Amino acid sequence: MSFFRRKRLFSILLGLIILVGLIGFSLRDRDQLSSVEEFFLDAVGWGQQIVLAPVNYTSRLVQNISNLNNLYDENQVLKENLAQYQQMLYEVQELRNENDELMALLDKTESITDYTAIQATVTARSPEQWFKQVTIDKGKQDGVQPDMAVITAQGMIGKVQSASQFSSSILLLNGFDRSNRIAVNVNLTDEDEDARGFILDYNEERDQLVLEFTEYYDEIPEGEHVFSSGLGGIFPKGLEIGTIEEVTTDQYGLTQIAYVSPSANLSDLNHVIVVDRGLPSNNDDDETEEE
Amino acid sequence: MSRVYLPLILLLLLVMQGAMIELIPARVDELGWLIVSHSVFLFLVLFKMFYDLEDTYYALFFAILFGFLIDVVYTNILGVYMFSYAISIYFVHGMRKLLHANFYVASLLAFVAVGLVDFLLYLIYYATDVTQMIMADYLINRMIPTMVVNLMIFLIFYALFKRKLVKWSKERFDEKRSTN
Repeated sequence: MSFFRRKRLFSILLGLIILVGLIGFSLRDRDQLSSVEEFFLDAVGWGQQIVLAPVNYTSRLVQNISNLNNLYDENQVLKENLAQYQQMLYEVQELRNENDELMALLDKTESITDYTAIQATVTARSPEQWFKQVTIDKGKQDGVQPDMAVITAQGMIGKVQSASQFSSSILLLNGFDRSNRIAVNVNLTDEDEDARGFILDYNEERDQLVLEFTEYYDEIPEGEHVFSSGLGGIFPKGLEIGTIEEVTTDQYGLTQIAYVSPSANLSDLNHVIVVDRGLPSNNDDDETEEE
Repeated sequence: MSRVYLPLILLLLLVMQGAMIELIPARVDELGWLIVSHSVFLFLVLFKMFYDLEDTYYALFFAILFGFLIDVVYTNILGVYMFSYAISIYFVHGMRKLLHANFYVASLLAFVAVGLVDFLLYLIYYATDVTQMIMADYLINRMIPTMVVNLMIFLIFYALFKRKLVKWSKERFDEKRSTN
């Protein structure tokens, strides 16, 4: 009996050692998954694509039915918007042509706004809600690489955290912390230059992103749109992130910060687009967006 | 046959966990509750109670394996689910020696074991800075709702799988005894 007790103590201690070892292994800054992890991710990923397809289909159907209620009102608003878009479309075309001509004049073909889109579908969401993580059905074979930005039609939702061969996991914006900042611009209507800053953190209580400005700006109107600036070297320029809700100073009163509510709905994700920035990015300096 | 079916059921439950959040109504989110379904673990508790004998450790083996799989697939920190599941199944194993395996005991044990698993997860994630939630918030907003919801899932599983597990257990272990 005493031997058994000793063996039990031994196993629990061994378990603890393995636990600490594994946590240490996974908390290291790694850009690639180990092949064991990739294998399991792909195997379960296939299962998810097959088994969860009907589940996701049904839950979306139910949502669609509940959306039918405000169909009429939405339709009215959309019709009004559409009339304005015709005008805008013309302007955009003109501007685009002009831009192309100017770029050709300068012999400049690449820009940080360029990207290629990889269409993907969300297959699963982490049941552990402390990890703001979803799985998509595209992987390295489709050109997805870690740190690529992920967007929906409404705006940016996150970045690729890790990619395996046929599926990858995405870290949502509300799971961002100081190790993955986004360099952003805020469009100031009165001035020529944009306000520059970083998305630093996500405030859980307010459900909003925390934006820290690099300089002090007098007038930052609430409701302005926040776009990625492309200067961080990983995400392309011009991805919409959110709108400014409140401008204050940080807890020491030294820097100006703003709370930004994300434009995309992070809890209801279906079709997403992985953004492959064409230009080479400075991947040498690990995960951090801006050094 | 149980050798094939049991891992398959566990794998199916693991895959299904990815859709669990879709099934939780948005109202719960507004209340600030975090509900985590531990359906793989609940099946392992049933497995331990009604399939394993007193001196076999198949459930423990699967707890380690599938805990590791959950770590790989749904989180990015390895070993946390693996450790918590293994310790809690071992706890169930120890309690089972003392208690009779009937419906009430099984439900109570599942209820307590889910609480234990979730608390271990909280401790490890708190230590590794995945969550900054303080203990009181955790107990009210996550632990209690999670325990209650998982108890309901356990009751469904009990109705679905209990007889099958007992049958498979008899088939497998009685065979072994008669051949020995």
